[in-house]
Amino acid sequence: VTLRVVLVRPWTDSHGGSGCCSGESRDGICFEGRVDGPHEHDAEVGLVSQAYLRLRADLPDADVQLVSANNSAYLLPSVFRTVRRKRGLLAALRETNRATTAGAVLVDGERVGDVTTLGADGVVAEVRRRAEQLPQ
Amino acid sequence: LVVEPETTEVHDEPRSVFPAATTPRRPGQLGRSSTVPAIVVAAVVGVLFFLGYRFYSSYLADRVYALDPAFVTPAHQFSDGVDFVPTNKHVVFGHHFTSVAGAAPIVGPAIAVFWGWGPALAWIVLGTIFAAGVHDFGSLAVSLRHRAKNIGTIAQDVISNRARTLFLLIIFFLLTLVNAVFAIVIASLFVANPGAVIPIVVEIPLAIFIGQYIYKTRSAALVPSLVGVVGLYLLIWVGQQFPVDIAPVAEAIGMTANTLWIILLFAYTFVASRIPVWMLLQPRDYINSHQLFIALGVIALGMLVGWSTIVAPVVNDVPADSPSIFPFLFITIACGAISGFHSLVSSGTTAKQIDKETDARYVGYMGAIGEGSLATGAVLATTAGVVATRAEWDGLYPDFGTAGGGAVGNFVNGVGAFANNIGVPLDLAVIFAAVVVISFAATTMDTGVRLQRYIVQEIAELAGWQKLARNLTLASLIAVAVPLALALLPGGYTFSKLWLLFGTTNQLTAGLALSVVAVWVTRMKRNPIPAIVPLVFLLAMTTWALIRQLLDFVEAGEWFLAPLDLVIFVLAMWLIVEAALALRGSAGRHTHDEMGSPVDSGPVDSGSGEPSRR
Repeated sequence: VTLRVVLVRPWTDSHGGSGCCSGESRDGICFEGRVDGPHEHDAEVGLVSQAYLRLRADLPDADVQLVSANNSAYLLPSVFRTVRRKRGLLAALRETNRATTAGAVLVDGERVGDVTTLGADGVVAEVRRRAEQLPQ
Repeated sequence: LVVEPETTEVHDEPRSVFPAATTPRRPGQLGRSSTVPAIVVAAVVGVLFFLGYRFYSSYLADRVYALDPAFVTPAHQFSDGVDFVPTNKHVVFGHHFTSVAGAAPIVGPAIAVFWGWGPALAWIVLGTIFAAGVHDFGSLAVSLRHRAKNIGTIAQDVISNRARTLFLLIIFFLLTLVNAVFAIVIASLFVANPGAVIPIVVEIPLAIFIGQYIYKTRSAALVPSLVGVVGLYLLIWVGQQFPVDIAPVAEAIGMTANTLWIILLFAYTFVASRIPVWMLLQPRDYINSHQLFIALGVIALGMLVGWSTIVAPVVNDVPADSPSIFPFLFITIACGAISGFHSLVSSGTTAKQIDKETDARYVGYMGAIGEGSLATGAVLATTAGVVATRAEWDGLYPDFGTAGGGAVGNFVNGVGAFANNIGVPLDLAVIFAAVVVISFAATTMDTGVRLQRYIVQEIAELAGWQKLARNLTLASLIAVAVPLALALLPGGYTFSKLWLLFGTTNQLTAGLALSVVAVWVTRMKRNPIPAIVPLVFLLAMTTWALIRQLLDFVEAGEWFLAPLDLVIFVLAMWLIVEAALALRGSAGRHTHDEMGSPVDSGPVDSGSGEPSRR
C-alpha cells in the first residue's frame, strides 16, 4: 500500500493570475527565474522545500506531492474521495476544508500537522509513524 | 437595455453591452435557422474532443513528440522542492487549467457567432484538436527537453537570437491590446450595468482581507474563499439596490463615463501590479476559480433543465460589407481555438512540475480541450441562451460592429438565461453572469499589466537600458500608459477592430511557439507536419487579415490603427522569415546522441545538447 503524502504550499508561495492571455504571473517572459518572488517569506518556502526533499529521500516508496492551497481541481475531490471512503461524509467535508490550509501536511487525505509547527524533521517523523501503521 | 450599433468611438459613447432582443430580422438575411438542443451540440463537441484526445494526442505523443516514460524530466533533474517539483499529473492539470482558462475564450466566440454557430463551432473544435492541442502539448514537450526553459528562451536557443527579441515584441503588443480591450470591456459593462460596480469594487478589499485572514490565522482557505463568493453574490443584491453611475462625475470633469472608468481601471492596475501576488491576485483568483466552476455548472445545468435550443442560423447570411469568414473568423476566435499565450504557461511553471514526460500529453492537450470547452459554452450561451427566437437573435447580430460591441453582453444575458432556467430570478441571474465576466476580465487586466511590466523590464534589459530595467515604478508607468493611450486616443476605432488586432497578435505568438515546436521536431527526425500545418494556416490567416485591415484603416483614415497594424504586419513577416530559415536550416541537421535518441537542446547552429535518461 502506497502512502500518499501531500504538502500544501505556503500561502506566500503564490501562483496568481488565472485567465487566457494573463496566465501565470511570477516568472519572467523571456528571462529565467521568478520576477516577483515573495522574498520576505522565503523562510517558510524553504522549510516546505526541505520537508519535501527529506520525505522524497527518506521515504522513497511514499507518493509525495507539493500542491498549492488554491488547486481546488485536485485537492478537493482527491481528499474528499479518500476520507469519505474511510470515515464518511461529514469527516470528508471537514478534512476537505482542512486540506486547504497553507503549510498543511496531509497523509492519506487527513491533515496530520503543519510544516511550520513540525519542522522538516518532524514532518518526516510523523509521516514515518503513519507509514508504520499501514497494513503490510 | 437598448441596441446601439457600434459606429461611434469607444470612448465617446457609452455602448450598451446588454442589448435587448427586439429588432426584427432584416429582409435578405436568410441564413438557415436551427432548432438543435444546445445540450446535444455540447455532447457532440464533447465526443469529438474525447476522440481528439484519445487518438490524435496519442499519435502526437508516440510519433511526433516521441514521449519517453524513462526520460528524466527537469522536475527530477533539478528538484528543489520549490519550483522544480515532480508532481502528480492531476495536480499539474489543476494548476495549468486554472492558469489558462479566463475571459478571452468567451469574448471571441461571442463575436464570431455573427457568421453563424456552425463556422464558429467548427473552428473551435478543429482548432482545439489540430492546432491548440498540438501547440499547448508541443510547447510543454519542447520545454521538457530544454530544462523547462520558457518558450522565449527556447526560441533563442532553437531558432536564433533574434527570435527572442521578436517574441518579446509580439508579446508586448499582445499585452497592450489585451489590457486595452479588457479595460474597454469592463468600462462598458460598468456603464451598461451600474449594479455590477459595488460587487466588483468591493471584491478587491474583500479578497485582500480574506488573503490576510488565511495568512495570519493559518486557517483553511476553502471556507473563507467560499464565504467570499457568497459575500460577492450578496453584494450583487446590494449593487442592484445602489447602482453606481459615474456619468455625472465624468460630465463634470469633461469626459464620458467610459473614459473615466478606463482611467480609474488603469490607475487601479498600476497599484495592483506592484502589490505582492499573494496579497491580492492569489485570493482573488481563488474566489474566481470557484466562480469558474459555478458558471460552468450553471451553463451545463441550465441548458439541460431548460432544454434550450439554438435559434441562431448555422451559417449566417451576413450583410455585404461585413468582414469575410476567411480570414477574420480565425482571428476573431483566438483563445478557445488556439492561444499563443498558453505556450508561456506550458513552458513556465507547468514544465517544471511534470513528473513523467508522458504526463505532458494529459496536461498539455487536456488544457487546450478545457479552453475549447469554455469557448463552446460561450457559443451556446450566445446562440441558445440569450434569446428565444431567430428574429430576436438577428436583432443582436445585425452587423459586425454591433456583434462586437454587444458580444460580452450577449454572453452575460445568455448565461443569465441559463441560470434563470434553474430558478435564479432573471435580473439577479444577469448581474451574476456580469460579475463572473468582469471578475475574470479584471483579473486578466491585473495580471496583464504586471506581465507588461516584466516585458518592459526585459526589453530594457536587452536594449541595455539598465535604469529602466531596474526601476519598477517607471516600468509600471510605461506598462499602464501604453494600453491606456490605446484605449483612449482618438482615432475612430471600435472594440471589434481592437479585438481583431488582439487576435492577430495572439495568433502570431502561437505561430512563433509552433515554429519552435516544428523546428525541434524536424531536428529530431520526426514528422513535423502536425505542427507545420497549423503554423502555415495561422500565419496565412494572420497576414491576410493584417493586409485587409491595413487597407481598411488607410481607407477610413484611421491614422493610429494603421501604423499599429503595419508594425504587427512587419513582426508577422519577420516571424515568417525566421520560421522559414530555421526550418530550412533544421531539415538537414538531424542529430542523435550515442544512445540513438535525438539530441534535445541547443541552437540550430551548434546542435549541442545534454539529453538525460533514467
